[in-house]
Amino acid sequence: MAIALAAAISMLSGYLLTDAVWPHARGTVSAWLMKLSLAAGLGLGISSCGFFVTGMAGGDHFVVSDILLLAVIFVLYVLIRVRSGRPIPPNWVTTDFEAPGWLRLVLASSFVVTTFAALYCSGQRMVAHEHGDGWDAFAIWNLHARFLFLGGPHWRDGFNALIPWSHPDYPLLLPAAIARFWSYLGHDNPAVPSLIGFVFTLCTVTLLVSSLAQLRGRNAAMLSGIALSATPFFIEQGAAQYADIPLSFFILASIVLLHFGFRSQWRNNLTHLHGPWLLAGLSAGFAGWTKNEGLLFLGAIFLAHLLTFRARPSSESAPEKPTERKYEISFVLGLIPVLVVIIWFRHSVATAGDLLSSPAIMLEKILTPSRYLAILRWYVKDLLRFGEWWLVPETALLPIFYLLVRKKRIRYDPLLRSSSAALALTFAGYFVIYLITPRDLYWHLRFSLNRLFLQLWPATLFLFFLFVGRQSPAPSQNEPEIP
Amino acid sequence: MDAPSSSPLHNKRTTTGILLLLICCLLSSGRMVFSTPHPAHIMRNSIAARSDDRFALLKARLPSAGVVGYIGETGDSALPDYYLTQYALAPLVVDHSTNHAKVVGNFRSSQSSWIPPDLHLVQDFGNGVYLFARKEAN
Repeated sequence: MAIALAAAISMLSGYLLTDAVWPHARGTVSAWLMKLSLAAGLGLGISSCGFFVTGMAGGDHFVVSDILLLAVIFVLYVLIRVRSGRPIPPNWVTTDFEAPGWLRLVLASSFVVTTFAALYCSGQRMVAHEHGDGWDAFAIWNLHARFLFLGGPHWRDGFNALIPWSHPDYPLLLPAAIARFWSYLGHDNPAVPSLIGFVFTLCTVTLLVSSLAQLRGRNAAMLSGIALSATPFFIEQGAAQYADIPLSFFILASIVLLHFGFRSQWRNNLTHLHGPWLLAGLSAGFAGWTKNEGLLFLGAIFLAHLLTFRARPSSESAPEKPTERKYEISFVLGLIPVLVVIIWFRHSVATAGDLLSSPAIMLEKILTPSRYLAILRWYVKDLLRFGEWWLVPETALLPIFYLLVRKKRIRYDPLLRSSSAALALTFAGYFVIYLITPRDLYWHLRFSLNRLFLQLWPATLFLFFLFVGRQSPAPSQNEPEIP
Repeated sequence: MDAPSSSPLHNKRTTTGILLLLICCLLSSGRMVFSTPHPAHIMRNSIAARSDDRFALLKARLPSAGVVGYIGETGDSALPDYYLTQYALAPLVVDHSTNHAKVVGNFRSSQSSWIPPDLHLVQDFGNGVYLFARKEAN
């Protein structure tokens, strides 16, 4: 009962906020599924921030603060909905993969099989590894959650320099979300981290499939869902109680929402619609509140946006220039509340990170060519094996798939360039971190690189199937040329 | 949604691409299912056995906040054992040092063969778990 109440408040907060600022996302099953997956993920982020702020303020009335937060979001919801009236569901769909009836049936059957296989494996792993699968689960994330829940007024003790190996600088979305559920329950039930991991895994797949179903069509959506569900490492990590899958969810959500934001202007001329931008900013903020790599992604998404839209001359063919500052301001407005929480945590709780050493040592590492070669070698090797696929790695399979389905006429759009650049810059940022790491390089690469790839994998699949689905011989009537 | 018409050659290539992707994904999915442990073979999680279960009695004897010292075995299991002790005793901070009034001893697979002379045994909780105190702390 207590856990259901905690989940309901969290879910309702996410749903009301999403529906208040983005009421147009409705009308189809895909739209509802997308909204539900966003609500679940964003709701966990909101309640995590609320729990942390309550703890920082020295209070232990987390239920009261949860209800207050929900009330504020409800008032916002009512105010916005009364003003905006009944929204018209927009039309997003463009060209999908062409497939005969029998192939669509095979595709649907395979989608069902891989989804059930993923659910079965997730369930088994949750039961088998009730305290997580790997050191980071108990030595970092669940340990921090225990300090937040059991520590009472001494919860900050868990974030001091005496236990540096627990990374007291790591942000607290996951530990605070776990501790909040434990506070409702009254004890540190190990099922809670498992369930949160499962929710993020499920929401990542649902968000990928439902967003592509709207932007590209059913075939592309099912293919992406199959590709993600059949990534054994994704399912393993989902049940491992690490923070990489939640981070992958927020990275995917940021990119998906930006695509819907842009297309609201281009395709449906909803120039007043700021919701997707606001939610994209919130989601990018939650990425930074989940892991430090999320902050890297946040910087990358800004830089990629600037490089793509600000550094190029504006096109007059766009119905409404998406580069207008008002949309960027909406993104920043969504980001600011979470950024304030992150800064507060960094300033008042976290110790200094352990990835930076003195400038002279870092410079020496940067000027050592053998480090570049070693990292490059690991990047290539891990790119082919990080998913733990059988026989043929998907990372090798996708280019083959692309070569088979592509057509001569290729249409690029700047948003796709911007999103791909954001992922590429994050990827490059990881490279720089390895370059300057004070730890043993091979140890560091061995125990983290595959998880870094996994963080970007759902968003990569989203962009891949969005891009490959665009390879049509001529634009359909519904799809104006995007500059 | 109606798909736009395309050449038969391209349709064939698209069909091949989709089938190839499906076959490889289904193979990975199948192996994932078969390599996942069956419910009948699932063992009690070793993390709980090595942390919460082992340290439950000791935890009841220690204060709920503050810092205690730690001494344990050497070897491959030394670090995980220390981390698991911290996990079990949180929100108490376990410092890997004997310079504290109370020191937790964790000797899971051997006797406490080497204990610094400035520590004395307060209580043996069994299962390799000990509580020591500094002699001057008395």
